[in-house]
Amino acid sequence: MSSRRSSQSGVSRISDDQIIELVSKLRQLLPEIRNRRSDKVSASKVLQETCNYIRNLHKEVDDLSERLSQLLSTIDADSAEAAIIRSLIM
Amino acid sequence: MASLISSDPDTSPELNRKKRKRSTVETNSSMEKHRSKRWRTDKEQQIYSLKLFDALRGSRRSGREVRVTADRVLAVSARGATRWSRAILTSQLGGGASLRNHKKAKVVTGNGKLKKQPAAIKKENRRLPAVVRRVKVLGGLVPGCRKLSLPNLLEEATDYIAALEMQVRAMTALTQIIGGGGAAPPPADHQLGSS
Repeated sequence: MSSRRSSQSGVSRISDDQIIELVSKLRQLLPEIRNRRSDKVSASKVLQETCNYIRNLHKEVDDLSERLSQLLSTIDADSAEAAIIRSLIM
Repeated sequence: MASLISSDPDTSPELNRKKRKRSTVETNSSMEKHRSKRWRTDKEQQIYSLKLFDALRGSRRSGREVRVTADRVLAVSARGATRWSRAILTSQLGGGASLRNHKKAKVVTGNGKLKKQPAAIKKENRRLPAVVRRVKVLGGLVPGCRKLSLPNLLEEATDYIAALEMQVRAMTALTQIIGGGGAAPPPADHQLGSS
């Protein structure tokens, strides 16, 4: 491919091969697509799944943050309980 | 580049250049894998959990505050190696970074070039818009990566996803350690604590 450039040019002039190669890397990460036959998944689909996955992760973190904020309100910062928790983490 | 050669006086310049060429290629891809793999280790998760717990003990505790703190500790764990982590830290400091991004946007805009592409590549023209749209959405989801080229964006997204997964694992474990996972803590604990 003649239009194979390094990362300087931005969105324009990305070759097909580049897109396929990069998207296949991304595919490795997605739990659903990993289990399917990789040839049949389009770049658009992989990108969409990636975006959905990131959104889901964000949502999980938000929910966990909410839960943690409730749990933490029951603990004193310097109590023995806090020290016990620290030792359980490691 | 010259500094790299001069900083290694033991080997001859030729040998050094060959070494450097080979190791640069290896280093780039191995650095990527190493970085993303780091998020998957138990050690990294424990360190993060501990730092997060320590950071949360002293602060006010709204869900929003916890989220912000969790992201900050995560970004710090990345040690400045990735764009998304630097973007999180600068955005939390106060918003001066957004000016920098706008400046870059003016220079790197690719839309004009896309429209001028010759009609000879019809297949690509038809297919690009959908992919480009999705790429933009992805760029919006990864902090600080709105105007990044596709290869860099995917690299950042890869690392960001691995880090987010660790964040979820760590916070889940922390939740379970402190108080009982998904279920409410049993009444007996409350009685003991409230006397």
